[in-house]
Amino acid sequence: MFLNVHSISILFSITFLIVVIELVRKNKLLEQYSLLWIFMSIILLVLSSTPKIINTLAKWLDIKNPPSFLFLFGLVYLLIYNLHITTVVSKQSKKITRLAQEIALLKEEMENNKKI
Amino acid sequence: MKILVIIPAYNEEESIASVINQIRFYAPEADILVINDGSVDATGEIAAKAGVKVVNLPFNLGIGGAMQTGYIYAKYHSYDIAVQVDADNQHDPFYINKLVQPIVDNSADMVIGSRYVGKTIYKSSVFRRVGMVFFTFLIKLLTDKWIMDTTSGFRAVNKGIINLFAMDYPVDYPEVDVLVRLYKKKFRVIELPVEMKARKTGKSSITPLRSIYYMIKVTLSLIIETIKY
Repeated sequence: MFLNVHSISILFSITFLIVVIELVRKNKLLEQYSLLWIFMSIILLVLSSTPKIINTLAKWLDIKNPPSFLFLFGLVYLLIYNLHITTVVSKQSKKITRLAQEIALLKEEMENNKKI
Repeated sequence: MKILVIIPAYNEEESIASVINQIRFYAPEADILVINDGSVDATGEIAAKAGVKVVNLPFNLGIGGAMQTGYIYAKYHSYDIAVQVDADNQHDPFYINKLVQPIVDNSADMVIGSRYVGKTIYKSSVFRRVGMVFFTFLIKLLTDKWIMDTTSGFRAVNKGIINLFAMDYPVDYPEVDVLVRLYKKKFRVIELPVEMKARKTGKSSITPLRSIYYMIKVTLSLIIETIKY
């Protein structure tokens, strides 16, 4: 069968990689955030094209059902990536607050100068 | 000594003018700064008409971000003392001089106007009091100091704390959070009794369920504050 889980996942990883690279090229995704995604899609591509790796890794980790390893990997990866994104959001929200404060203070100073 | 009274205000058009007038009466030597925290009513216009300095934030930052704006202003204009007074008429400006005095004498770095030190006629709901007692014990546990009115926003700080707050001020529940922070940095915090008035305008946001939620969130944030670098 051409349409089995392997061919689909290979197709998916390739498409994913292309989409990520296109987003970076169109400036819709910053390089610094694209790296982890590119990394992820390459790993996905390797894993889906060579099922042997998953089977071996699953055996090492004493996982009875090899595809479970994929789920575990995906879950942990997304968890870590989410944490990373939250730190990014925190940093940005701090910066936005500071910008709003400085702008408000600048405007007050401008109004003051106008009066004089 | 240059004194700045900072009034963080969010939709307080009914009370802001009277707060400003009372501060002018009781603390004529102080400069007044209203931080209009993205109000959708006429708070900013009324304050400007009253002739005080007004900083209009482009959007609502919440109490932490608004108060920090005031501290940044105080730092930029090199004020020696900053006093926080709420815009809802709860804090009686009569006590501003009393709160400022220990800082002028350099016997404290922060002075909190407290409802619960000494005898006051202030009455609050049961839920509020339970929360207050809880925070007092929690602060005692974390800092080994008794602060009876941990959430009071009626407070005066000196230059050292102005600079610290201008750099970094908690976003949520700053009043309680700051107590741990200042303890860790070895600042001297004292409480003085003040009378607080019941709110005349607007309504308190405290409901039983919300206050439990509030207590859990503040507790978590205090513990995090304690283990922070």
